[in-house]
Amino acid sequence: MKLKLGIVLVISILLWGCSKEETTEPDTPLVLFEKPSTFPNTSYKMESNPITEDGFLLGKKIFFDGKLSRDGTISCAECHNQPYAFTHHGHAQSHGIDGLVGPRNAPALQNLAWGKTFFWDGGVFDLDLFSLAPIENPVEMDEQIGNVLEKLRKDVTYPPMFKKAFGTEDITTERFLKSLSQFMLTLVSANSKYDLYKAGKASFSADEKAGLTLFNEKGCASCHPEPLFTDESFRSNGLPTDFFRNFVDTGRYRITELKEDKYKFKVPSLRNIEYTFPYMHDGRFISLEDVLDHYADGNMANLETLDPIFKQNTKIGIALNQKEKSQIIAFLKTLTDESFLKDKRFVP
Amino acid sequence: MINDFVFYPSHCIFLFVKKNYISKKMKKIAFALVLGISVFFAACETSDINPNDKNSVSLYFENLVGTDPVVLNTKTYTNASSEDFTISTFNYFVSNISLKKSDGTELKFADKYFLVKQSVESSHTITLPDVPAGDYTSVSFMVGVDSAKSVSDVSQRTGVLDPASYGTDNMYWSWNSGYIFFKMEGKSAKSTNAAKDYKFHIGGFGGMTAKTANNLRTVTLTMADLAKVRKNIAPEVHLAIDVQKVFKSTLKIAESNTIMNPTLGTAVANNYKDMFAVEHVHNDEM
Repeated sequence: MKLKLGIVLVISILLWGCSKEETTEPDTPLVLFEKPSTFPNTSYKMESNPITEDGFLLGKKIFFDGKLSRDGTISCAECHNQPYAFTHHGHAQSHGIDGLVGPRNAPALQNLAWGKTFFWDGGVFDLDLFSLAPIENPVEMDEQIGNVLEKLRKDVTYPPMFKKAFGTEDITTERFLKSLSQFMLTLVSANSKYDLYKAGKASFSADEKAGLTLFNEKGCASCHPEPLFTDESFRSNGLPTDFFRNFVDTGRYRITELKEDKYKFKVPSLRNIEYTFPYMHDGRFISLEDVLDHYADGNMANLETLDPIFKQNTKIGIALNQKEKSQIIAFLKTLTDESFLKDKRFVP
Repeated sequence: MINDFVFYPSHCIFLFVKKNYISKKMKKIAFALVLGISVFFAACETSDINPNDKNSVSLYFENLVGTDPVVLNTKTYTNASSEDFTISTFNYFVSNISLKKSDGTELKFADKYFLVKQSVESSHTITLPDVPAGDYTSVSFMVGVDSAKSVSDVSQRTGVLDPASYGTDNMYWSWNSGYIFFKMEGKSAKSTNAAKDYKFHIGGFGGMTAKTANNLRTVTLTMADLAKVRKNIAPEVHLAIDVQKVFKSTLKIAESNTIMNPTLGTAVANNYKDMFAVEHVHNDEM
């Protein structure tokens, strides 16, 4: 009798457990976008493109699809790999279709909802309009957006996904771009050791603490302010202009055609900087040590548009000794967000 | 001005009554007067502008080199600087059209964008629907896509503003967000590049995140013939666009074979804003 009761009880629990799992799992929404409490309001008009799970999944599929390129070989993920904060690991200048090399280093894709402009020169002012550029760039995907939409219409998997995400199977420019935006908007990195330290959930080593102090005192934070570690401005940090194959990249000037914008580039975020090497718009520096050497050792080009912050000492640049450099690097490494780099939601 | 005077049926009736009273005294004159008034009354009816009547106005853009219709690729022309040139592409956006009456009232066609492409015959005619009856004295339009639309949400970019609609004949700068307002390409022996070609891509709406060159131009053209919109008249405004005005004497292919940035484009926009003229207006009854 007791045994029977026990068996019934165990089966009941098992069944209950099963049914609980079955009913609750599909109802658990995938948390896709949450504004970190320390972050300001988004620049992206989130209400213009509400993120849904179906929209996100569609955007993710598109992000990893080579159909975006003329010959089917290059997807967004080609130059934007998750383990390296969505940069083109190991490539100074990102290469695209037919092995062609572009003049610039693929920037990290993270916290894009707070981006005011996109590209090193800020030529695009709306994330939704961004993806047209790499698709059409002859050295990236070399394709026409109209052809891309036609390819997706002919692929049996896409029309049902568009229907799930947007209500009908119609594949339009708007839906294509907004689903990509939905995926990109979810790439939020705000869970680094630094974030935990600020929240009182982690402690810094002596070097990391000293590095944070130097980061603020030496003026790094004036262009790379927390919590995004970029002020989204365009500045010249004195990179000699003749570095890359005699190609002089005028940066922001290419967009504004204003003399005062020559050789200025968008200040990049320093989040996940440990993994976004090589550095600068053309990937000329392999390591963080190289970057700090550029700032500290007086090798900056004294360009007319050089940011005034580098002109405060008798020697241009920032005065840093070896110990200070290593402490700043120790701090910069606290900006690595392992949970972001390994987030399974972003894996195809 | 004769077109300022509007006949209303009530005026005619008033005249009729008045004249009729006089006719009591002189029957013969009365007969003649009644006849005359009847004719006058009939005339009133046809020239009457009922503001509730509507019809369409179409603008026909005929691209010419001087007075010859543009022939793509195969015909060679000579510009004011004695440079030979062919035309392989000739496109421009037309937007913010408005029609003005002599009394100054203006009818605006907001949120309507058109892309005139020499290679697409159907794009040469822009039809404006539901124009209230009236005598229109001038037409105005913008060459390009206004700044508000140029920075609008992607949901606003449909039809000729959809970047997916252009194919190889792109009218959108994806790397420097904005539309190419005017595009002209072709060959010329005077070009200094290896391909012996020229490319004029003119855009620049003034910038979103920084103030940049603004190459939007508004063209206002007087219609000497008037566009007389009536219940049974849908006027066709025939515009003659002279490609030679793109060059005038200032733009030389030998000096600039490739213009794709807004600051250089300004001089070209200042030239092509003068290429439009109203040739004549058809006011044919339907």
